[in-house]
Amino acid sequence: MEEGNREEVAEVALNDVVDAVIERAPYAQGKVIRERRVEFSIPAEKLRDFLRVMKESGFEMLMQITVVDWLKEGKFELVYQMWSVTHSTHAFVRLEVQRDDARLPTVMDIFPVAETYEREAHEFFGIDFEGNPRLGPFILEPREYEKHPFRKDFSTLSYVKEIYGEDFDRYDESKTNYVI
Amino acid sequence: MDEMKIDENGNGRVMEQENERTEGYDRLSYPLKEFKVFEPLFRWARKKSIWIITFCTGCGGIEMPPLMNARYDLERFGMMPNPSPRMADLFLITGYVTPKTLKRIIITYEMMEDPKYIMSHGSCPINGGVYWDSYNVVKQLDRYIPIDVSIAGCMPRVEAVMDGIMEIMRKVERGEADGWKRYRDNYEWYRRNQDELFGKGWRKETARRWLKWL
Repeated sequence: MEEGNREEVAEVALNDVVDAVIERAPYAQGKVIRERRVEFSIPAEKLRDFLRVMKESGFEMLMQITVVDWLKEGKFELVYQMWSVTHSTHAFVRLEVQRDDARLPTVMDIFPVAETYEREAHEFFGIDFEGNPRLGPFILEPREYEKHPFRKDFSTLSYVKEIYGEDFDRYDESKTNYVI
Repeated sequence: MDEMKIDENGNGRVMEQENERTEGYDRLSYPLKEFKVFEPLFRWARKKSIWIITFCTGCGGIEMPPLMNARYDLERFGMMPNPSPRMADLFLITGYVTPKTLKRIIITYEMMEDPKYIMSHGSCPINGGVYWDSYNVVKQLDRYIPIDVSIAGCMPRVEAVMDGIMEIMRKVERGEADGWKRYRDNYEWYRRNQDELFGKGWRKETARRWLKWL
């Protein structure tokens, strides 16, 4: 079989998968990015429902939960990355929550592995996953807990000067003059 | 290093006794004064039998296997990696150090027997390197533990590490690798810096995380 032909066949098969998911969950939008990559975006309140649908339609593994901080829009974008052994396909499930007082339901009972990723997102971004019993101090030093260092409005340089000493001033505060 | 004397707050050390015992010596103290005659021999022996403690931080650990292979072959100098801090002489800081790792590094360093040497790889232990504004990487490692040889670079190649090893062997032979001595003499200063970073009583807290009965 020719290379281009095979890709087309794979995309057609993936389109069927996406259509099947959207048929069961009409609130979602989905598309095929390329071979072995599909993407869905859903409203935040439908998260648990949608992940259950995904699990039943062949996406058996939750691989990672990543968070993007969109400071200007005032939103966190969460990406639930899933892997399907059946279709050999990577799926990204995107959703957005408000940046201040971010809350989401936990998906621990659907994918037990989510516990660790939710703890991580809670510690670094301050997202509250309701129902996860182990949220709390996790990886960071105790003094950094509740500071959420991965948020865009966390000023690393002033924090560094506070912790590691004022004599660390090779750089401008405005970060215009890099020497490195 | 001798056993630490920790007061009930978990910090501070009875410095007077230590100073009294260690003042007036410039090299290793021997039970017999006559042993000083053999000091050049001892130094040569120390230079030719540097054991490395197996403790890899950051990205430099991956530069170590080529050193052990046939091309560079560390063992021809009598060096070998060893998992026990009590038997080790050389501590390699192979990359950036986070506060969490630094706690373990300090505890391991204090477990090692005198004389002990530290060699740091790369620019991160020197001034933070590419992590200069990271909240979680220690800048200026020599404020917390004494360093004998620093290798610049990001990450130094195996040749540079080899050069650093030759340098520390030269220093051991000349008796210039005196980090352990500086650590003893300026223990209060090092201790103050460590307490500033971690908060007082961090040793007990760290130990309690693993040894619940403390």
